[in-house]
Amino acid sequence: MAKRLAWGVPIAFIGAFFYWPLGTMLAKGFSHNWVHDLFDAKTLDSLWFTVWQAAISTLVCLLLGIPGAYVLYRRRFKGQKVIRAVITVPFMLPTVVVATAFSAFHKWNTSNAFWIIVAHVFINYSLTVRLIGSHWSELDPATEEAAELAGAGRLRVFWSITRHQLRGSLVAAAATVFLYCATSYGIILMVGGGLIHSLETDIANAAIGMLDLPRTSALAVLQTGISLVAFVISIRSGHHDVEFEGAGNGMSRSGLDRRDRLVAGLTFTVIAVLLVVPMAVMISKAFMDGHGPLYNFQLFNSHGYRELLNVSIAQATLNSLRNMLVSACIAVVLGILISWLLTRSKSGSFAKFFDGLLLMPLGISTVVLGLGYIVTFSNPLFPLRSSWLAVPLIQSVMALPLVIRIVKPAILGVNRSQLESAATEGASAREIFWRIELPSIRKSIVTATAFACLASIGEFGAASLLAFGDQATLPTVLYALISRPGGHNYGMAMAASALLMLFTFAVVLAVSLDTRPLRRRR
Amino acid sequence: MRRIPKIAYIVVAALALSGCTAQPQGEVVLATHDSVVISKELAAEFQKETGLKLVQVRAGDAGALTNKLILTKDSPIADAVYGIDNTFMGAATDAKILVPATVKAIDYADICFNYDVDWFNASGKPAPKDWADLTRPTYTGLTVLENPNTSSTGLGLLAATVARFGEGNWQEWWQELKDNGAKIDAGWEDAYYTDFSGAAGKGKFPIVLSYSSSPADEVNTAAIRNSCFRQTEYAATLTNAKNSAGAAKLIEWLQSKRYQDSMPTTMYVYPINPAAKIPESWTTKAPAALSVLGENLDVAKNRKSWLADWSKIFG
Repeated sequence: MAKRLAWGVPIAFIGAFFYWPLGTMLAKGFSHNWVHDLFDAKTLDSLWFTVWQAAISTLVCLLLGIPGAYVLYRRRFKGQKVIRAVITVPFMLPTVVVATAFSAFHKWNTSNAFWIIVAHVFINYSLTVRLIGSHWSELDPATEEAAELAGAGRLRVFWSITRHQLRGSLVAAAATVFLYCATSYGIILMVGGGLIHSLETDIANAAIGMLDLPRTSALAVLQTGISLVAFVISIRSGHHDVEFEGAGNGMSRSGLDRRDRLVAGLTFTVIAVLLVVPMAVMISKAFMDGHGPLYNFQLFNSHGYRELLNVSIAQATLNSLRNMLVSACIAVVLGILISWLLTRSKSGSFAKFFDGLLLMPLGISTVVLGLGYIVTFSNPLFPLRSSWLAVPLIQSVMALPLVIRIVKPAILGVNRSQLESAATEGASAREIFWRIELPSIRKSIVTATAFACLASIGEFGAASLLAFGDQATLPTVLYALISRPGGHNYGMAMAASALLMLFTFAVVLAVSLDTRPLRRRR
Repeated sequence: MRRIPKIAYIVVAALALSGCTAQPQGEVVLATHDSVVISKELAAEFQKETGLKLVQVRAGDAGALTNKLILTKDSPIADAVYGIDNTFMGAATDAKILVPATVKAIDYADICFNYDVDWFNASGKPAPKDWADLTRPTYTGLTVLENPNTSSTGLGLLAATVARFGEGNWQEWWQELKDNGAKIDAGWEDAYYTDFSGAAGKGKFPIVLSYSSSPADEVNTAAIRNSCFRQTEYAATLTNAKNSAGAAKLIEWLQSKRYQDSMPTTMYVYPINPAAKIPESWTTKAPAALSVLGENLDVAKNRKSWLADWSKIFG
């Protein structure tokens, strides 16, 4: 009975703050000209761009990520942990910051689509490396070693043996990266300079630019369809319990040797050129652009050139931190509760169904959900839209699946015999949870909290629609600055981006260098 | 188990904090587009005069501002709005977001082509007299302008071409302009400050789509002051406003000489109040357009099909 009550909380939460506004928004799409909206030439162009840029980004990520996973997870060398942390930073960076960083290269006369793909690879490289790497590091090297002894080259070994062993994580990585690139909003909006359209930017434009809600939701349905396909593929690959942390503690790994020269060289070049250079350029611009090295930082209390901003960067930071605290609290507390319930659930099909329902937010854009909040919660009886809570609520809904993906495997990995002996000695389920399980999954909770915090700090789509006036967040303020780069706005944007980057780096480093041993998964 | 009450305290505290940020009496919220400037000094004067604290909420460009107000009509984000122009007035009126009796014009600006006088003197080419001529071989590769999909300045010219050449015929002029090597930029800042040779960026293009007021700040540029598109910006009280009395006072103040005096230098627009002071550099170098067209087009209604046609040409 208590458990049924406990289920009620997350079901009510996700129902009220995700499915209700989403459903209201999508329902507006089923109008008489629905089919016409879905298949006019402009939509097909956007759809085509969405798919091909996501496909190419995914392909490049895989091509670069497989050698990366080998070097960083299958081999062992000094400084590996720091490099793993460094490459994780782009994935956790606010998209606005990434766009700001790549805007520094904008004036090169290359097509913007090229830079969009570069930015997507920049963001998703580490995800690819981690997903494949954590799987790879758990493979028993015996087969590979035997093949090598028999005289096969490493590339040949990979192609004929390892590739098949890694199939699950390769498919999962491809589907997940594709999903992220297909729902990308901030990058396409800013790096594309407003001239390149994907489904996601079309959704925002149809709503805010053209006020065409039926078309907006028709596009959202299409977008959701693509997400669902990518999603189902990633789940069916059987590798969907993403382990973000502490991979590779199981198998012994050998160091890099001479035959690894090529892959190691490639990987370090990619990390240096693709990942480190853009971040370094941005940090240097934060200090060099303007008058004197600290000039841009001194402007944090101002409202920008020609009073562009509703709030200063300092105030926006406070708003962002407040949203972060609220959304991370909700996401982590609910995420632990749901993970615990899922691992305790006896009827498998119900848990599976609910698990799927909870994963949906990963495939829905915050823009669509933000619009859903506007059309659902604007009535005077329940004016959630006009409350500052709307933004952190959306952020917590979006962070929830990530938290569950991190915490649930950890709970499953808690030592069974310890739990059973505690139970036979008369400890209640609640006591077992607080005294044994919670302390054992401490590290996963820290990781999940860090993820939820960074996801909230960087969230742009919903905040751009709902954070009006003095509620502006750091990403929305940065977007305002970077889209009007006159005066000292550009320098301010660079400086704020540099600070966000350092903050992200500090969080990622703190989490990944936390050396207390993680309990092995079953 | 003991930890749960702590979380409850945090939640209660957070809710209490949110209560504290509720609007105090004597505040009036003004929604504007991103380019509206009301200096701190002027806002302080307004507060002294009326006892009302002025809070400005910038909500994107004029189009985004209008549409956000329409979407949030039932619980509006402000009491009054300033910056909806004639191109979006139709949409705002249809959606009934404004109290009709309160709608007042505040400023206007004329979208005209500008050219770099020094460049034309040096090159020996004749400076353009009419923007329709920009499709001629004399001006091949000399013009930069804004994308009407992403810039209200560009949209203004698009409307002007519709008004001048008529529905169904304007596309031809744009096709010729494209064939004549015109460059399209996303925004006004890019076109004017980066690509125009007569402004700070010292770009490569001596002709740019800008405003009749732009030459006031430049060394030697001029505007083609015929057949320009006039944008008139309005202020109004929002339907369902919490403080409509305050909104009325604010709109009155926006029309006052004191505020109108500040507009040319802060916003590069002409004040609607004939008593307002206009800087000398404006009267000599940047007077308003001699002739305007397209003022009565319902841009909000037709924009979608215009832009679709335009994008086919430049796509």
